[in-house]
Amino acid sequence: MKKVMHILFLSCKKATELIEKKLHFRLSMTEKVQLKMHKMMCNACTQYEKQSKLIEKGIAKSKEKDFSQDEVEQLKKMINQKLENKN
Amino acid sequence: MNTDQTLNLNDLVEKYTDDLYSWAYYKVTDGELAKDLVQETFLAAAQNINTFKGKSSPKTWLFAILNNKITDHYRKKVNQTVSIDHQLFSNLFDEEGSWKKEKRPKDWQEEEKNLLDDTEFQQILEYCLDELPEHWNSAVKLKYLLSKKGDEICQELGISRSNYWQIIHRAKLKLRDCIENNWFKDE
Repeated sequence: MKKVMHILFLSCKKATELIEKKLHFRLSMTEKVQLKMHKMMCNACTQYEKQSKLIEKGIAKSKEKDFSQDEVEQLKKMINQKLENKN
Repeated sequence: MNTDQTLNLNDLVEKYTDDLYSWAYYKVTDGELAKDLVQETFLAAAQNINTFKGKSSPKTWLFAILNNKITDHYRKKVNQTVSIDHQLFSNLFDEEGSWKKEKRPKDWQEEEKNLLDDTEFQQILEYCLDELPEHWNSAVKLKYLLSKKGDEICQELGISRSNYWQIIHRAKLKLRDCIENNWFKDE
């Protein structure tokens, strides 16, 4: 029974793969329907999708960082030195 | 001629290092690496200064060099052999591909916004990102770092779509599992 279900409505492994695919690319019509059916029956994968989207937002957010002006001045010095050494 | 060139470049260093570094830092989120990339950019600029004909502004020219260096960096990382981690799958799923009972995603019981604003949650996320194999880590971050869509990223990195989302799939499974383990550790 489980096997038939998996063929029709995907395994959790395949469903999570499609959830990730969906975040980056379009799903085919069949994939869309299969995933939807799967999620209707599977609470774990529904949770997974929710959390996966949350993690995406978290990653986007963690990209906001800062650095000091001193660092930039030091970097300028270093670059100028290297340029001089080259000539 | 030589002195002219150095003079010229030193001006550019003075003027644009800040912007170039900010950009590189934002894209690679690693200060030391960002510095290296900016240095390499100026060294490459010094080498090719004769080919710069003033068709674009020096700033555009420097950014184009830097962007190539950043893409190269990611291309190298992602193309490191994609180790297919069978263990990861067998850790999480049974033979039929269903979640193992103890690995099923739990309800995090917290509003999305609250979690995202929670410093501890952010720290756990950072920790778990660092725990990923390096090329998985880059693949997951790329979308945000390059602000590009899936297809464009694949094109730039020279990998197939299926290869790309399969890396993401593994990385996200691992990341989610790591976050859940750490988030509920003390409860």
